[in-house]
Amino acid sequence: MLKKRKIAEAAIPTSSMADIAFLLLLFFLVATVIDVDTGIGLTLPEFVEDITTVEVPKDRMAAVLINENGDVLLDGKPISVFQIKDNLKPRIISKIELPLNKKIIVSVKTDRKTNYNTYIQALDQIKQAYFEVRDEFSNQTYGVKFSKLDQEVQNEITKEKIPIIISLAEPESVKK
Amino acid sequence: MKFQKRRANTKQEIPTASMPDIVFMLLLFFMVTTTLREVDVLVDFRLPEAKAIEKIENKRLISYIWVGKDKRMQINDSIVKLEDVQKVMYAKRQALPNVIVSLRVDKGTDMGLVTDIQQELRKAYCLRLNYSSTIKI
Repeated sequence: MLKKRKIAEAAIPTSSMADIAFLLLLFFLVATVIDVDTGIGLTLPEFVEDITTVEVPKDRMAAVLINENGDVLLDGKPISVFQIKDNLKPRIISKIELPLNKKIIVSVKTDRKTNYNTYIQALDQIKQAYFEVRDEFSNQTYGVKFSKLDQEVQNEITKEKIPIIISLAEPESVKK
Repeated sequence: MKFQKRRANTKQEIPTASMPDIVFMLLLFFMVTTTLREVDVLVDFRLPEAKAIEKIENKRLISYIWVGKDKRMQINDSIVKLEDVQKVMYAKRQALPNVIVSLRVDKGTDMGLVTDIQQELRKAYCLRLNYSSTIKI
């Protein structure tokens, strides 16, 4: 008698496909970042009707003036936007150990016609100066980068040692 | 006499081949139905570039103000006038006391307009600001 030859069924195991799909789904769920917002942070002063002017000693002030052509004056000295950082850094460093009311104040003043991009570039330079000073300071004192420090130590540096004090002056023509 | 066990001839298996399809269907359903709360930006703008930028961790706190190339301003879903900024933002601040205002301003805008907006924000007590900018490489 002739035996019928059994033909083995050729099949790909498909039961694990669902798991693979789930894994893919989970991977993309975890890995996707939906449009993180980045930018330069700043806190505005409160609005008060009558402005009381306080005299600030000259050596505390770093006045950055930007005119409508994008020319920059730092304390009366004409420089380019990209020199702001290197000019500010030594001045910030020299005031690290001083009390809070003696820290440097960076005052940014623009014209009404100044380009927004130029203003952001200048602000960026100032922020970079502060960040680099913070990094150098923590490298010298703690031997690690600023971002690697504990939250408490970071707070101490940002609050007491190297606080970012930026004053935004109103453009000239507003005051008239 | 030989007894034969009664056994069903059919296979006792749940077909699993279509499982991935079901999963994909689910996935697609949720992909289509979820809306990432996003507003239609009505103004045309290009953000400036900067290096020393920070990420805003708490996205829930952010409220956007767009300023386009044509100097139009947008808050929420509508174009607003400069005079209305204070009113709108004050309402926002009351709903969310520590709101962060993210200014998405076009590169080519004059500082005059930006300052005017800032003055309005100060009057509305929205003092936490963020100049939205992209990373310069």
